[in-house]
Amino acid sequence: MRGRFALALWLFGVAACAVLVAHMRLQTDMAAFLPRAAPMAQQALTDQVNNGAASHLILLSVDGAPAPVLAALSRDLAARLRREPAFIDVVNGDDESFAGVRQFVWNNRYLLSPDVTARHFTVAGLHAALENDLGLLGTDMGGLIQPSLPSDPTGALLTLMGQLAPGQGPKLVDGVWIAQDGAMLLVHTAAPGFDIDAQQRDLALIGAAFDQARAAVPGAAAARLRETGPGVFAVRIRDTTKSDVTRLSMLATVGAVGLLLFAYRSPRVLLLGLLPVASGALAAIAAVSLRFGFVHGVTLGFGVTLIGESVDYAIYLFTQTVPGEPAGVTLARIWPTLRLGAATSVVGFSAMLFSSFVGFAQLGLFSITGLIAAACVTRFVLPALVPRGFSAPGSGVLARPLLAVIAHRSWLRLVVAGAVLAGAAALVLHRGGLWDGDLANLSPIPPADQALDQTLRRDLGVPDLRYFVVFRDGGEEQALEASEALAPILQDLVGAGALAGFDVPSATLPSARTQMRRQAALPDDAVLRARFAEAAAGLPFRSGTFDPFFPDVAKARAAPLLTVASLPPALQLRLQSCWCKDADGWTVLAPLHGVTNPAGVATAVARLPGVQFVDLNHESDALLRTFQRDATRLAVFGSFAILVVLLVGLRSSRRVLVVAAPCAAAVIVTAALLTLDGKLSIFMVVGFLLIIAVGSNYCLFFERPEHDAAPRRRAVAAIVLANLCTVSAYGLMSFSHIPVLHDIGKTVAIGTFLSLFFGAVLSTRDAPA
Amino acid sequence: MAGLAQVKSANASFTERKTMAVLNAPLVASGTLEYRAPDWMRKSTTSPMPESFVLDGQQVTMMAEGQTHVFALGEDPLIGGLTEGILATLAGNLAALNRVYTVRFSGGPTDWQLVLRPRDAGLTRFVAWLCIRGSETRINTIDTASANGDHSEMSVNETIGNAR
Repeated sequence: MRGRFALALWLFGVAACAVLVAHMRLQTDMAAFLPRAAPMAQQALTDQVNNGAASHLILLSVDGAPAPVLAALSRDLAARLRREPAFIDVVNGDDESFAGVRQFVWNNRYLLSPDVTARHFTVAGLHAALENDLGLLGTDMGGLIQPSLPSDPTGALLTLMGQLAPGQGPKLVDGVWIAQDGAMLLVHTAAPGFDIDAQQRDLALIGAAFDQARAAVPGAAAARLRETGPGVFAVRIRDTTKSDVTRLSMLATVGAVGLLLFAYRSPRVLLLGLLPVASGALAAIAAVSLRFGFVHGVTLGFGVTLIGESVDYAIYLFTQTVPGEPAGVTLARIWPTLRLGAATSVVGFSAMLFSSFVGFAQLGLFSITGLIAAACVTRFVLPALVPRGFSAPGSGVLARPLLAVIAHRSWLRLVVAGAVLAGAAALVLHRGGLWDGDLANLSPIPPADQALDQTLRRDLGVPDLRYFVVFRDGGEEQALEASEALAPILQDLVGAGALAGFDVPSATLPSARTQMRRQAALPDDAVLRARFAEAAAGLPFRSGTFDPFFPDVAKARAAPLLTVASLPPALQLRLQSCWCKDADGWTVLAPLHGVTNPAGVATAVARLPGVQFVDLNHESDALLRTFQRDATRLAVFGSFAILVVLLVGLRSSRRVLVVAAPCAAAVIVTAALLTLDGKLSIFMVVGFLLIIAVGSNYCLFFERPEHDAAPRRRAVAAIVLANLCTVSAYGLMSFSHIPVLHDIGKTVAIGTFLSLFFGAVLSTRDAPA
Repeated sequence: MAGLAQVKSANASFTERKTMAVLNAPLVASGTLEYRAPDWMRKSTTSPMPESFVLDGQQVTMMAEGQTHVFALGEDPLIGGLTEGILATLAGNLAALNRVYTVRFSGGPTDWQLVLRPRDAGLTRFVAWLCIRGSETRINTIDTASANGDHSEMSVNETIGNAR
């Protein structure tokens, strides 16, 4: 009766969770893995990385042919891409690349130029401008300014071109950008970098356009296209993850199914074994979704790994069933041990609930809920479903090697002690720190791709952004006015040699107030003509030369003010790259180039209220340190909590020692082995927690007082089977190209195997073997 | 041309008269020219405004009003084309000259004249033709005309004899 009630309750629970899971909101941006109280700068930087202008950029390089062929290819490719609506802007250095910006700046020069002040339009100001023009005409640059001179005698454009110059781009060969690594193109996609489906389509479009261009340009058959950028990375990572996860999980499934079929010789029992973990995962997703309102992609992938030990619950039950004994009886016998094993893992993982990273907290709740649900399903649902008279006929063979180890455990203890001492010594004597401080090594982007990105950015003259000035403001106009207040301070710093250059939003779009002030500085047509005639008197300019100047000024006086929407795409991109909008306002991130005196810049900008100087390297180091501190604290707290639970469950400090010692030994030796070829990553800390969670279960079963040889053999067989499944699954994971999967897989595979061995040697009771 | 190719270095003073559509009187500038074979030259203007123009291989450095502007020859078709013409003449490199211009040579060794017309349509927008006159291995005048009718005459006066 009770079994049937439990079954009904379980079915109801599964249905309820399924409904919740169907409505969950999956989130994949990395903000959840930032500390909750992240400072403004870090928050803004992740926003910028996820949604900012930079995420819309794809960098292309074409190489593998002589320069003239590459130039022709670049032109042909750019022409094809410019026809695609998926691309807002395609820049390859040719005239068309900048035509839009040039036209815009020319048309709006009187609203954009800082030289438009009342003083410049007095008789004296105009006279000085004309004398300057005369000087310029005499120089070698005279030919360059001559076409624009009649419409722009005050040189509004010239100042602007200096200010809006795209920086040191690659060299032009045959009129397009050619750098050391080939022809360079910059593509601005309509879709943001995180829209992976759109980015994948865009990359396919680029690939197809390149193939057509290569076919159309003679001599280009051997040319090669390479691409990089945030969107490209996102697509590649998804591809790698997909292929890694598909391939490895298929292999892992085949391995586990093979092992379990060998042990159980019953497909039905094999499937039953999945019930606890599947129910646990379902309940866990539902709980996280309820508590946080969303489930992070990492939580989903990772969480299932964390509750992987619940696969063992079924193994413990099935393998220890005595022939002829109902599964319920077996379960009643092993339940106290199983319960204590699950409880240790639950408290171990619960440490994560208190993490300052939302992502960790989600993982904590996920694993706790998942394990409790899985344990309950094992206890109350599974026994009723196991076929009568089932026992695991194949498990005896599996137990044999470990039984041999147990038989020789008195002298093997010395081996274990030696290994632990050596491991501890290696860790203590390890030079240069145990922890990997390089964030790049945690990145799922392969080193070769990172290197290509660096090279192309350098070729394109895209500076490595490290320093920013950051501030927040309520509205667009306020942010523009604030950046206008900041600009002269930064300009002074450039003059003093503290930095080479900077970008602020107001350099692209002046505030409405400034634009209105410039309009007000322009005299009306009659006044301007009179002043100009007076100013030009005595200078050798032919009369009528400046006729186009007057209507342009008159038009500018009445022109509507410029807004973000009136900017051409390239300038919109430039503007978006130095600010971003969120629910409460605007965060301005003004990039600084060539900073030589960071402390001086920090002091100077701090004079403005609410303005911060940010060193990106420093920020990401700080983030990594918080991550490490958090992870270590979690591991220490978790281990302590596990000891307390063991003490409560076993009621003997000696027994606790016997159970805990092999786990600690396994962690020490694993860590020492991992440092043999590199440093420890923060992902490995999660692996250590898993070793303790899974390993403590083994030790609890080894430590169980079993007075007969037969149940002892079955218990050992259960542990071995569970361990073989774990080692094969995590061992396969260590072949993944994604650092997080690789690191955890390797750690857990080594650590759980060592736990098995150490547990057999150290935890097994000396009562009849 | 072969004679010019022998010249390893030269120094000269120059006077340049520019006639422009926007001006009703010509502008006059003067300064010095230096040349070192095969591809280095400097034009330093001393009056009316000091400025300098240095060509070193493929790189051009312009300095005027305290501002320095560095770029590669390939970047600016106007200066690139112009410079290549003068340099190829100085170096006596007919092949290089023929690549950029159609070349017409007339006169004798003591009184020769080279007329260069750009082959590239983009370049003709800026330079309609160049006319270089000289005797023996000396260059005496360089005249430049642009498409809009602007015109510059530069007379060159070698101060130190050619080093061979």
